[in-house]
Amino acid sequence: MFWRILWRLLWASRSRLALALVAVASGATICAALVNLDLDASDKLTREFRSLGANVVISPAQTANTAATMDAAVMRRIDAQQAPEILAAAPYLYLVAQTGDEKIPVPVIVAGTWFDQIARINSWWSITGRRVSERNDAADCMVGSEVARTLGLVPGSRLTLRYAGREATFIVAGVLTAGDSEDSQVFVDLAAAQNLAGLSGQVGLVQLSVRGSTRAIENVMNGLARALPGLDVQPVRQLAVAEGRLLERIRGLLFATVALILALTALGVLAAMAGLALERRRDVGLMKALGGTVRRVMRFFLAEAAAIGILGGIVGYGAGMLLADWVGKRVFATAISPRLIVLPVTIGLMIGVALAGALPLRLLGRVRPAEILRGE
Amino acid sequence: MAPLVQVEGLCKKFGSVRALDEVGFDVVSGEWIAIMGPSGSGKTTLMNILGGLDRPTGGRAVVDGTDVATLGERELTRYRAEKIGFVFQQFHLVPYLSAVENVMLAQYFHSIADEAEAARALIRVGLGDRLNHLPSQLSGGEQQRVAVARALINQPKLILADEPTGNLDEANEQTILALLQDLHASGHTILVVTHSPAIGRMADRRIELAHGRLAQIVANTT
Repeated sequence: MFWRILWRLLWASRSRLALALVAVASGATICAALVNLDLDASDKLTREFRSLGANVVISPAQTANTAATMDAAVMRRIDAQQAPEILAAAPYLYLVAQTGDEKIPVPVIVAGTWFDQIARINSWWSITGRRVSERNDAADCMVGSEVARTLGLVPGSRLTLRYAGREATFIVAGVLTAGDSEDSQVFVDLAAAQNLAGLSGQVGLVQLSVRGSTRAIENVMNGLARALPGLDVQPVRQLAVAEGRLLERIRGLLFATVALILALTALGVLAAMAGLALERRRDVGLMKALGGTVRRVMRFFLAEAAAIGILGGIVGYGAGMLLADWVGKRVFATAISPRLIVLPVTIGLMIGVALAGALPLRLLGRVRPAEILRGE
Repeated sequence: MAPLVQVEGLCKKFGSVRALDEVGFDVVSGEWIAIMGPSGSGKTTLMNILGGLDRPTGGRAVVDGTDVATLGERELTRYRAEKIGFVFQQFHLVPYLSAVENVMLAQYFHSIADEAEAARALIRVGLGDRLNHLPSQLSGGEQQRVAVARALINQPKLILADEPTGNLDEANEQTILALLQDLHASGHTILVVTHSPAIGRMADRRIELAHGRLAQIVANTT
């Protein structure tokens, strides 16, 4: 009988309830989109951040007696971690080589690395010419814009580097502009740099790009520190802190917006329900006269509001996923994955909002049947 | 035999207005009582108190051993569901429920809704072909018959009818009166608030009120 009466109530007031449903569905759409974005945004944003450079660095422990390099086998041990958060790991071996005329040599900082990994870590570099992306491309090099300007190098130029009596020649594939120290460096294949420096199988440091929240990054770092005893695993502090702050602010903004939308939705429902409450006054008085307890009578009307919340939540979830996808494509240039957990969250929020907005219906519980039946 | 209804020194004040002033009478089970008097004499107030819709400001109103003046809100609700069947002048049906659902609503608040039993009650009042009609699809007389079926469905101790024919034409009035006679004949206790002399004559006794006081009690002889 309860469901039968509830259905009759909903059907009889469909035009008035449609207004409340529109308010709830609109609020649910934005809430579902924002909650879904919040869940997905951390992932998407950290991916965006990860194109801005490395955020973790592994280097030999800073003690007086240790060498400034470490065994390149560290790269295999990092791989063995199989941490999906590690998006890229680039080994570096730095040396100061000489170029130009042997009589008037020009010192230049050379960084031996894996081209495929630095392409992933530093995708934001501006490149003139071609970006070298094959890991073991020993023929080509990339030069920073400052080096190119000083030495008059352009893509296609030949660059000969000398170090401790050894010599290697590369073709300049591209000129990079990073706006940082990289502009004054020459990037060559790691093995070529090791041969030039006479440090076969050695690297100076490893830069990693690790995605995830501050806590996720810390977990990865802790795992690496355990797997790599004797090495320093450090965050690039400024970047990590800035990422964390930005994420927190974005999340705060999303939650504040959701709270505001919920309040506005409740007001919309309140406006729609106020008129309905007047119509229902007589029914409540009659039901109480027939022996209906306040709780039992109000269950009909609150269930009516909850039904609006459920229906509005479901409709809003569907629309919200489309909105989130649109926002994701516009803002993050990628599709946002719909999260199923958002559906119960949205429905729960909307039931709460609909019940809060149904305050005028709740006040009907105070109706005195004798007054209603007298026609007051 | 103990009376079903005992009213003693019943008072009801609305501000400084005395709607009921020291009213007292008894009703035995199976009696048909007509409560009569001019407008403002306290008839509806008396019925509301007996029906548990209002509280007296003094005196006692005992129905089937329960003094309604002493009941709390929840107990009054239970009292209305279990002991009273209401028939109102304005019918007071729920407009979006069908005839059978209006009857089932009273069952639902009493215990469990039983559609077959509700349908039988409507057949008894001659509405077997109107079970699924909404109140707006029924005539005034038919709506009042639905109200009578609703009042009877939980086998109440006392049927309270407030001007049950006040909004009906003569033909429908006769139908409702016939129904009340039928209920009386089958042993129901009925209190009818009415202005109608015809109903007054059909009742076992007339309780006449004037200015909130008991003016006289007249027993009809058949």
